[in-house]
Amino acid sequence: MVEDFPKFHEIESPIRTFISKRVIGIDQNTSVQEAAKKMVEFNVSCLMVVKNDEIVGLITNDDLKKRVIAKGRKPSIPVKEIMTSDLITADIGISVKDALETMATKNIKHLPVKEDNEIVGMLTFSDLIDVQKQKLETHISRE
Amino acid sequence: MKILHISDTHIGGARYFDKKALEHVVKESKKGSYDLLIHSGDVTQEGKKRHYENADKILFSRLEIPYVVIPGNHDKRSGGIALYKEHIGSPNGVLELEDSVIVHVDSGVQDSDMGRVGMIKFDMMRNALRKYHKKSIKVVVLHHHTIPVPMAGRERNVLSNAGDLLDLFLKFDVDLVLSGHRHYPNVYHIDGTVFVNAGTASGKKTRYGDANSYNVIHVDEKRLSVETRRISGEKDVDKKEYPRHEQRIFFDFGKRVFRIIHVSNTFISTSNIFKRRHFFNAQDIINSLKGDLLIHCGGIVKDGIPKDYDLAQKYMKEFDLPVVYSPAGRDINYLGYDLYEDHFGDIDQDFTADDVYIKGISSAQYDTPEGIIGEVQRERLFYQLNQRDESFKCIFLHHNVLPIPHAREKGLLEDSGDFLREAVDEQVELILTGTSSHPFAAQVGKTVVVNANSLSSIYQRSLFGNSFNVIDVYEKVLVVSEISSLWGTRRTLGIWERNNQSEQ
Ligand SMILES: [Fe+2]
Ligand SMILES: [Fe+2]
Repeated sequence: MVEDFPKFHEIESPIRTFISKRVIGIDQNTSVQEAAKKMVEFNVSCLMVVKNDEIVGLITNDDLKKRVIAKGRKPSIPVKEIMTSDLITADIGISVKDALETMATKNIKHLPVKEDNEIVGMLTFSDLIDVQKQKLETHISRE
Repeated sequence: MKILHISDTHIGGARYFDKKALEHVVKESKKGSYDLLIHSGDVTQEGKKRHYENADKILFSRLEIPYVVIPGNHDKRSGGIALYKEHIGSPNGVLELEDSVIVHVDSGVQDSDMGRVGMIKFDMMRNALRKYHKKSIKVVVLHHHTIPVPMAGRERNVLSNAGDLLDLFLKFDVDLVLSGHRHYPNVYHIDGTVFVNAGTASGKKTRYGDANSYNVIHVDEKRLSVETRRISGEKDVDKKEYPRHEQRIFFDFGKRVFRIIHVSNTFISTSNIFKRRHFFNAQDIINSLKGDLLIHCGGIVKDGIPKDYDLAQKYMKEFDLPVVYSPAGRDINYLGYDLYEDHFGDIDQDFTADDVYIKGISSAQYDTPEGIIGEVQRERLFYQLNQRDESFKCIFLHHNVLPIPHAREKGLLEDSGDFLREAVDEQVELILTGTSSHPFAAQVGKTVVVNANSLSSIYQRSLFGNSFNVIDVYEKVLVVSEISSLWGTRRTLGIWERNNQSEQ
């Protein structure tokens, strides 16, 4: 669930209220092609990678581009071969400002969010932008 | 943590107040090893000085555990709020208790039975939740209910901004919302939040022959349980238990069984209230989505006049999947009732496919935006549903059954309390509605409730713009997405495990 873009006066507020709390994942042995299909079907830019109910990594749009297509690898390889497994995560209590700063300094667009050491959601930069973009589009499309 | 939740003691004269029942509660508070007592309002019958003095003498001064209390509408009668402050204390506040926090807010309006949480109190709550959101148990206490409760008659929702409150509680992962006022115990589990209504602990005005009652609430790391105990009477104890942590990552969906396109408020007409470009873009997108069924939750035309109906019929024909409809008030206004049947068929429509049963129920009345199903219709509806063997059952109607963010109560079905209770108890898997033009989805018990934004009217309330929903029923999960009418961009409103799954 993508929430509204934080208003500037709410930039100090915890990311808890802005994260997607129901996140789409994929089994680590699924093929890259299946993963790409799932990303297209649900219009998401990343998937959590799961092994026996445990989260073991993340794959993103960029990974598909850089680690598969650009390298000429086959779409039939399992996602575990191209996923990012050293996850940079954020605590659910940090502010939006700090989360954005983490994303900027680590150069990542997806931030899995933890509460009591468990991943409970995802903060996605492009989702936040998307909502903002929609707002703009709503203005543009006034008839 | 163990909480003794009482409400509506109505301490006053013997006509309204049962002293023995209160005595029972006070004794329970001493022997039940509780951490906290919460009183969700209507401490007194009339907010008079002698009632407050009595409340102190026979209730509060005898408690040996910490307690939280808020005023109810009765406590604010005849200027009683000043006496409340004098005898009990601040009507609003925040209590920090080890790893929990209790935010309690006066939702009453002076000399009125209505409830309101105005901007200042709303901000107060939000600030408190923001400050204490990392507490492991978050409790909110309000006298008036946020979610429609059964047996409430027309008083479906007395908090006019209930939708915003619901949104606030869900966003902050509040664990418990405690209320009273209706004198009828009720519990709902909505996504991660449990909404509890207490019956009256010692008021003589109980409802529908129910006895006086109180709730015993247990919260531990993994579970939250609510036990309603009757002080006397046959039905002794109701116990409900819920997991405290919801599934957050979904990866095993199984095969897709059925795809529903869910639209509302198209407002087809020659007027500029109808956005043609949005409608036709959405139509192309919908046709490309290859759904199994399109459900139109009403607001088909702008007005119930021949010109609009003829146009609507022409435009709706261009969808290349089956369509079922349920009317809004505006659809059956003027000549609409007859036009509707001529152009779109029966008022109550249904659809059957392999193991799928979808049933429309008209909630509209002509000449008014207010909606109601009515007792006879409701009985018939659930009787019909129970006759069916399909494992996936869905009900659709125009009016909301849950309060919708950014919208006031007028779109809410008048008998939403009774309807929602029954649908949840019968484990109807999906309810689709289409008022208030704001997308929203939440799971109540095992029932997913989804509201659609307006597809193509200038009146809509979402930053995402006009939109419609896609409900994908997979073998193991239900995925609800919102799709922009104009651009086709998609976002997920929610994913839930299906009824047929083991988790309980
Ligand atoms: Fe009461
Ligand atoms: Fe009340």
